[in-house]
Amino acid sequence: MSDSYRLPARLDLPAAEPLAQALRGRLGANMTLDGSDVTHLGALCLQVLLSAARTVRHAGHDFALVNASDRLTEQLASLGFTPDRLSGGAE
Amino acid sequence: MSDQNDPMADIRASFFVECEELLEALQDGLGSLDDGVGDSETINVVFRAVHSIKGGAGAFGLEHLVRFAHRYETVLDEVRSNGLTPDHENVKLFFRAADHLSDLVRASRDGLTVPQDAGDALLAELDAMLGTPAETDEASAQVEFTPLGIGIDLGDLDAPFDAGSAPSTRWSIRFQPRAELYETGNEPQILLRNLARLGTADVTCDVGALPLLLELSPETPHLAWTIALDADVSEAEIREVFEFVDGLCDLEVSLALYDDNTASTAERPPAADVNAPAGVTLPQPDTAPQDMPAPPPARRAAEPPARSVVRVDLERIERLVNLVGELVINQAMLAQSLVSAGLSPHSDAMNGLEEFQRLTRDIQDSVMMIRAQPVKSLFQRMSRIVREASAAVGKEVRLVTDGEATEVDKTVIERLADPLTHMIRNAVDHGLEPGADRVSAGKSAEGTVRLSAAHRSGRVIIELSDDGGGINRPRVLQIARTKGLIPPEASLSDTEIDNLLFLPGFSTAESVSNLSGRGVGMDVVRTAIQQLGGRISIQSESGQGTTFTISLPLTLAVLDGMVVDVAGETMVLPLNVVVETLSLGPDDVQMLRPGAELVRVRGGFVPLYDLGAMLGYRSRRTDYTGCIVLLISLDDGNRAALVIDGIEDQRQVVIKGLDDSFFRAPGIAAATILGDGQIALILDPADVIAGCLVPLPVDARLPDRSSKEERLEHG
Amino acid sequence: MTLTVLAVDDSRTMRDMIRLALVPNGFSVHVAEDGLDGLDVLSGLAPDVIITDINMPRMDGFGFIDAVRAQEDHRATPILVLTTESAADLKMRARNAGATGWIVKPFDPGKLVKALHMVTG
Repeated sequence: MSDSYRLPARLDLPAAEPLAQALRGRLGANMTLDGSDVTHLGALCLQVLLSAARTVRHAGHDFALVNASDRLTEQLASLGFTPDRLSGGAE
Repeated sequence: MSDQNDPMADIRASFFVECEELLEALQDGLGSLDDGVGDSETINVVFRAVHSIKGGAGAFGLEHLVRFAHRYETVLDEVRSNGLTPDHENVKLFFRAADHLSDLVRASRDGLTVPQDAGDALLAELDAMLGTPAETDEASAQVEFTPLGIGIDLGDLDAPFDAGSAPSTRWSIRFQPRAELYETGNEPQILLRNLARLGTADVTCDVGALPLLLELSPETPHLAWTIALDADVSEAEIREVFEFVDGLCDLEVSLALYDDNTASTAERPPAADVNAPAGVTLPQPDTAPQDMPAPPPARRAAEPPARSVVRVDLERIERLVNLVGELVINQAMLAQSLVSAGLSPHSDAMNGLEEFQRLTRDIQDSVMMIRAQPVKSLFQRMSRIVREASAAVGKEVRLVTDGEATEVDKTVIERLADPLTHMIRNAVDHGLEPGADRVSAGKSAEGTVRLSAAHRSGRVIIELSDDGGGINRPRVLQIARTKGLIPPEASLSDTEIDNLLFLPGFSTAESVSNLSGRGVGMDVVRTAIQQLGGRISIQSESGQGTTFTISLPLTLAVLDGMVVDVAGETMVLPLNVVVETLSLGPDDVQMLRPGAELVRVRGGFVPLYDLGAMLGYRSRRTDYTGCIVLLISLDDGNRAALVIDGIEDQRQVVIKGLDDSFFRAPGIAAATILGDGQIALILDPADVIAGCLVPLPVDARLPDRSSKEERLEHG
Repeated sequence: MTLTVLAVDDSRTMRDMIRLALVPNGFSVHVAEDGLDGLDVLSGLAPDVIITDINMPRMDGFGFIDAVRAQEDHRATPILVLTTESAADLKMRARNAGATGWIVKPFDPGKLVKALHMVTG
């Protein structure tokens, strides 16, 4: 069981590539992302999160977004998601 | 800024100050272009000056200003972007447009109107310069005057549109961002949030064929969104949300059938491959914009330090100047009473006093510096006078200025404008020969007028010279004789002839041009300069030109004076006129006729004036043996010997205006308060020599306000 | 949360107006006098949004936006261009340089605040 990964505060355009890198490094196990620090969520990072969720589940592991900050929750909502939906299988 | 009573008025005032700076930059730039020393940046500077004036003017709804600036700017922009080099005529036109622009700025500032004809004519010329038909569309220069609401209520901006009450319209929106949308700093999350604020939004993300993480190129957009929006808004309002990303995304906005029960199937465009519907209904955010709490106190500390310049109300400076004047007087009074108390000059108290005196003087100097301004603005006004004057008489004239950074008391600068204007018109009109004459004299057709300023031994020297024909002395002499200004047989030196120009009523202009006109002569100029405590002199060389030199005190508030005793009264004479102090021997005075005596000084004779008698303090002396006289010399070359009864001191005195509490007596320039608290009158030597002093009994002397009262304005 | 704004404009009047419009509304406003000055201020600041004029000495708005976008940290920082021109080609040039949006003068505080919210949410 791996530790949860604490997402950085700003998940904007410049953060997309580093986030993808970080998550690629955690493939092959259950993935738990801690969203307590997040203040900004942009669509490109959402895309990375969705892709990671899909990839993790394809491999038969669990994906979870936990401790979503209020701002993260709210911004996810703008983009058509809830933390649960993101965790629990967007597809 | 926000704590001011009326911040807009403040900014408006500051805008006009900035306009003056911009106009100055504009003048400088045009000057460089005219001199051919400009580079490619010069035209940009010129353009930006006009552009910035237009920008600010627009914000304040100054329509005339915007309209003119816009068209002027358009022409400058053409020149700039096409890399054209404006020729002399073009620059002249730019200068005139700059002059008009400055008229408009000042009219706007003062709430005046400027006749539109002049501007229209200039605009026509500007347009003609480009060879384009006059621009008629006002649209591009249109100012929708937007009164500035100061306390902007964000709540209003974000207020929902009557959510809940009015029947909403259901809109279906499909939005797919492209990479460029992200690259320009736009963000779908924010756009979607703004969209949701219009009403109630049901947002569905179309995840589509999103690659797995290892194949994902994180900056390539794959997502798209479908939004069902219940809001009573028009399509235009929806598209407005996407205004900045128009062309950076695929956007479809369509009206959906309103169906309360089935939410989001019908409106989904068939093309959308929604294999991962992830709908969530956003409640209308009842949260006030959470980014905007109640306005916190302005975080001024966060701002970088502004340029270290403060604007201060002139009245405050005047008050400070007056207070420092009082301080100087008080210090002198204290010194006097310490001396009277019989303190030793080496006592601690006296030493301390000396230090106090030094500090007082330093403070005084520093305060005077506050009032100092560069003469640049004055010179720029003069360059406009040259342009207008030369155009009026059809001569080609260039103005060369030097020493624009020289600082002079603000009041001196203001009061120099009129005399200088007059002198410049004279120089252009009379000083410079017509172009043809110049060419035949081997000069360039274009005349040069040179205006310079410099500090020299504690005074400001302003020189105005032309490279014209010089003073026509035979003609000057002839006129002076014809007008009876000098005796027919008098033989005068060149300098004396030149100084005839300053005589009241002298005017050499044969034909009265509408420029210099008649009646206002150099005598008025000289009077104005003298009222500033200054001197003016002429040097002229035939065929080479004429130079007027004005010498002015740095400030009007302090005078280096000689404190003298006249029949028991303490009076002050400006030190700069005193040439020599003499004690009269029995043979020094010669009587021409009763009441007219001359003093022999180094083989020459100067008229003798008995101050005590002239001021009506006592009757005339009959014997001057042993009397002290001050030999004074004025800028016009006149000399005189003033009989006084004793010299008390030489010191700087603070000039106090003779305002309403004093009437203006001829021969008296102002007053001062001496160390012992006594008021002393400051003599006006020019008046004394001109014979303005009519010896009358003291009680019969009436104020002669008509001619001299402006001399008392300053104190 | 206070939004931090960097306003770059060579006109003191415009800078004052921007401050006056934004500070009472809870923005923290930093100013710079031209593009180079703006980059200088930016080196010690992470603004939530940047407002810039186009016509400025030393470094104009296009150059400034270009330089800002070249910094990894500021690739996504919203940049609004203040312009007196509504001409489409200017908007295009600004956008090509990386501007997020624009505010067409005459300056109107309401318009400015609205534009800021359009790009910052």
